[in-house]
Amino acid sequence: MLLTTLILGAVLGGTYALLALGLTLQYGIARIMNLAYGELTLIAAFVLVWAFQGLGLSPIISILLLAPAGYLVGWALYTVMMGPLVRRAGGSGRLEVDSILATFGLLFLIQGVLLLTAGPNFTSISYLDRGVSVFGVSVAANKLVAFGICVVAGGALVVALARTRWGLTLRAVALSPVSAPLVGIDVNRTMRQGFALGTALAAVAGGTLAMYQTFSATGGVVFTMKALVIVIMGGVGNVGGALAAGLALGLVETFVATAIDPGLTLAATFAIFLIVLLWRPQGLFRRR
Amino acid sequence: MLEIKDLTLRYGKHTALDGVSAEVGKGEMVAILGANGAGKSSLLGAVGGRVRPASGSIRYQDQDLLALPQHLLVEHGIALVPEGRGIFPAMTVEDNLSLGALPRRAQAGAAARRDEVFGLFPKLAQRRGQIAGTMSGGEQQMVAIGRALMSAPDLLLLDEPSLGLAPIVAQELFAALGRIRAGGLTIMIVEQNAAATLALADRAYLLEAGRIIGAGAAEALRNDPAVAAAFLGGALTD
Ligand SMILES: Nc1ncnc2c1ncn2[C@@H]1O[C@H](COP(=O)(O)OP(=O)(O)OP(=O)(O)O)[C@@H](O)[C@H]1O
Ligand SMILES: [Mg+2]
Repeated sequence: MLLTTLILGAVLGGTYALLALGLTLQYGIARIMNLAYGELTLIAAFVLVWAFQGLGLSPIISILLLAPAGYLVGWALYTVMMGPLVRRAGGSGRLEVDSILATFGLLFLIQGVLLLTAGPNFTSISYLDRGVSVFGVSVAANKLVAFGICVVAGGALVVALARTRWGLTLRAVALSPVSAPLVGIDVNRTMRQGFALGTALAAVAGGTLAMYQTFSATGGVVFTMKALVIVIMGGVGNVGGALAAGLALGLVETFVATAIDPGLTLAATFAIFLIVLLWRPQGLFRRR
Repeated sequence: MLEIKDLTLRYGKHTALDGVSAEVGKGEMVAILGANGAGKSSLLGAVGGRVRPASGSIRYQDQDLLALPQHLLVEHGIALVPEGRGIFPAMTVEDNLSLGALPRRAQAGAAARRDEVFGLFPKLAQRRGQIAGTMSGGEQQMVAIGRALMSAPDLLLLDEPSLGLAPIVAQELFAALGRIRAGGLTIMIVEQNAAATLALADRAYLLEAGRIIGAGAAEALRNDPAVAAAFLGGALTD
């Protein structure tokens, strides 16, 4: 029973961690608080379902395609919508407010389009839903595949951020955007990359979610909120913290759902959020 | 090598530079001296692409610098250590130096250059894993200069490197600058510490309220009583 909860919680946590990673990259590097983040996740989830049902495309291949597609969509969104706001703000705090308002509008736009095309009902696919025994617990194979994808994507990103020149560039812009041009970094371009990368993560997270969960066109806000909760729990801009907090939230939600009541998961999430905000607003893991 | 002509720079209505012209030859070390608010940082910042002048020109090796965005200057061999150092305080010393080597021109030979920097500032070698922002002012200045040297510059722009440092630390810093200069790098430096700077530099410009009011060989300026009174705190003692 406890083992089941742990395993299912880790699976959900993997998706959450990826979701939060994307949001924290967008906010940390591009300094854009993207309220339409969950809707971007949902688009990916719907695309995966349509590709599976309509074209018979394997979800794994869909996710491989969704990652670069998400990157391109993020790139385009930044160029068309965020770029003008960034230029107008000229490095002032105005960008934060402007981006919240703009992405709030985008949220309803995407939600409207999704409602029109997919309708208000819950959707899901049945893919690899036979059980596989893990430490004696039967877990649906689709969850294990989804978890594996999250681990690979999140792990690759963490290594790339820590070890590569590209990661160094992204971190430099996140931490000291004013110093970055001194070492030849094109800050605007890097911000665009950070936003695009965050969107790619949203897409992959949405894809893995669609592999094992039901969802509907109006559920994006909840994803955004959960990602936000995880980001704040992990410490804003803290990549390792977001991964750990994402995993923790998946575990807590699964525990609450199995031990208490499935209807209380959202309430539990926000209870944690409030406690963290009141007790450790700097995040659970921030030193200093 | 660097030719500044009739440079005028304004912040809103305030004119910080008013028709400034200056030159730096290859291999030269040129100092800009002036009181607080004279426009020294504005001049260096204009060369380093941080601030945009209203008019005038800055040419560097037949390239119009004002046509380039700030982040491309380092690819042309210009490294700026701004006022306040411009390091990455939340990152390690190692990461700061790696960032210095980020420009394409600096990628080949980065390892050898890192060894040179460590030779110049042995402390950085011992502290490579330390978060730069937790270092002392003098050590952070070493990180800043080391970072600039990592980008394989031909022209090094230094804005008050000794600011806020204890006299003995400043002395060590000037000794290191002497060694950098002996390596043949062209240097344009802004300093409050006029005596130590004039001891190292070839020439200097005197800046007052956004205008050049004097220029000459460092040696001659050191012995000029008017300069001594204005910039060297009275009589100059060697
Ligand atoms: N961003 C800015 N906005 C408005 N005024 C500015 C700005 N930066 C500098 N100034 C003004 O321009 C003038 C020249 O400033 P600058 O920083 O170039 O002087 P400085 O010679 O470097 O002085 P210090 O020795 O104090 O560093 C000053 O009067 C300053 O108040
Ligand atoms: Mg200054």
